[in-house]
Amino acid sequence: MPAPAATYERVVYKNPSEYHYMKVCLEFQDCGVGLNAAQFKQLLISAVKDLFGEVDAALPLDILTYEEKTLSAILRICSSGLVKLWSSLTLLGSYKGKKCAFRVIQVSPFLLALSGNSRELVLD
Amino acid sequence: MVRFKHRYLLCELVSDDPRCRLSLDDRVLSSLVRDTIARVHGTFGAAACSIGFAVRYLNAYTGIVLLRCRKEFYQLVWSALPFITYLENKGHRYPCFLNTLHVGGTIRTCQKFLIQYNRRQLLILLQNCTDEGEREAIQKSVTRSCLLEEEEESGEEAAEAME
Repeated sequence: MPAPAATYERVVYKNPSEYHYMKVCLEFQDCGVGLNAAQFKQLLISAVKDLFGEVDAALPLDILTYEEKTLSAILRICSSGLVKLWSSLTLLGSYKGKKCAFRVIQVSPFLLALSGNSRELVLD
Repeated sequence: MVRFKHRYLLCELVSDDPRCRLSLDDRVLSSLVRDTIARVHGTFGAAACSIGFAVRYLNAYTGIVLLRCRKEFYQLVWSALPFITYLENKGHRYPCFLNTLHVGGTIRTCQKFLIQYNRRQLLILLQNCTDEGEREAIQKSVTRSCLLEEEEESGEEAAEAME
């Protein structure tokens, strides 16, 4: 007797996450330069606009957290725009005439992964 | 085989002002397209598209333009064309837009398409024209182009019969 066919459903996630999250830090050559969140976002968008034009400057980019003291932020970008954002952050050289550089600390498709960093782990 | 492959974009310049087409110059158009690509796609787009970029054919009377670009980046050029809104020449600014008619891999395919397109345009013009003198002139051009087509066909048939 043939056994009854078992019904099952297979779900395959080819690309589980449509967003990528980046933890970045902005470093200036001189100290004493402050930016608020709006100026930070303006800097990011102008960096992308410089390299990739108006079309890619309109990519949905979000700043999830921003700390003004350390100038570090967590950004969210759709996965197709990750390479463009990262390359334009790499090539950004100055803000209002002052030399600066973006340090990318962590990149992950999952936001939870950015909550802990084994490099900054302190063992008692 | 190893060669650089290109894409040829056949476009038509559409404008309200009749002086716009007459002031078309290949250098003016080339710099306009390059500036638009730089604005829309940034330094990356400007550099990528300007390697193999050239204006291959320009007809000031009908406003037909043939642009050449590399096959890898032709979509960047194509997507930047709708952002061209005006043509600037000697301080005069004419609003216009570029309508893409055909994308081909060689100049010959674009030429074949252009011949068919012009035949169809002549028939449309014939329907729309109001002046009697113009109507006769257009009818003459239409019959001439149809005769040329028949001559080509009969020539091909004769060649097949000989074989």
